[in-house]
Amino acid sequence: MGASIGPRLSGMQKQVLALYRGFLRAARSKPVEERRQIESIVSAEFHKNSKQVDRKNFIYIEYLLHRGKKQLDQLKSPDTVGLSSLSVDSSRTRNSSS
Amino acid sequence: MASALRSAILRHIRVPATQALAANGSRLTAVRLMSSHDDHITKDEVINRVLDVVKCFPKVDPSKVSPEVHFEKDLGLDSLDTVEIVMALEEEFKLEIPDKEAVRIESCEHAIEYIYNHPMSS
Repeated sequence: MGASIGPRLSGMQKQVLALYRGFLRAARSKPVEERRQIESIVSAEFHKNSKQVDRKNFIYIEYLLHRGKKQLDQLKSPDTVGLSSLSVDSSRTRNSSS
Repeated sequence: MASALRSAILRHIRVPATQALAANGSRLTAVRLMSSHDDHITKDEVINRVLDVVKCFPKVDPSKVSPEVHFEKDLGLDSLDTVEIVMALEEEFKLEIPDKEAVRIESCEHAIEYIYNHPMSS
């Protein structure tokens, strides 16, 4: 058990996973329907970036982490019910791909 | 003037404070009930419920799930999926698993051990 723990993940990976966990935790506090929607958007965004972003592009990953933290703070606010303010990115990709 | 302000503020504060107390009280009794060792869940129950949660995960082939299975090596999941599974287990067993512990749960085996040994699992 001990051997596989910790060193396998870099500090940055841990930050990304912690951010992801933060989003999923925040989603729990929202009404069920919004929660599912938030979860699917957030999950898609993280998975997309995990495949598309170069692992060594630290500056860009730092930027994404920073942006994600700010978005998470917004989401945590009880006034924020859905993810429309956070879906800027998915709408941008949708627009560019259409 | 100052005392009027003070009493006005105090009067304002008193309402949420009693509410918070009441909420705390009820949460405490609930927690005490769950942590009672007499009705702590059995290992078999933990195993079954952990496997059910993992099997229900959309990206998982249910036929591959066994109590020893490793999320990434055996089920082909990535670290993000693992986060989702651990979060789903938190909900299933009504636990809050701290980040430090959560990153160590990488297989059904780890999950079962952790949950079985956790006094608050229910």
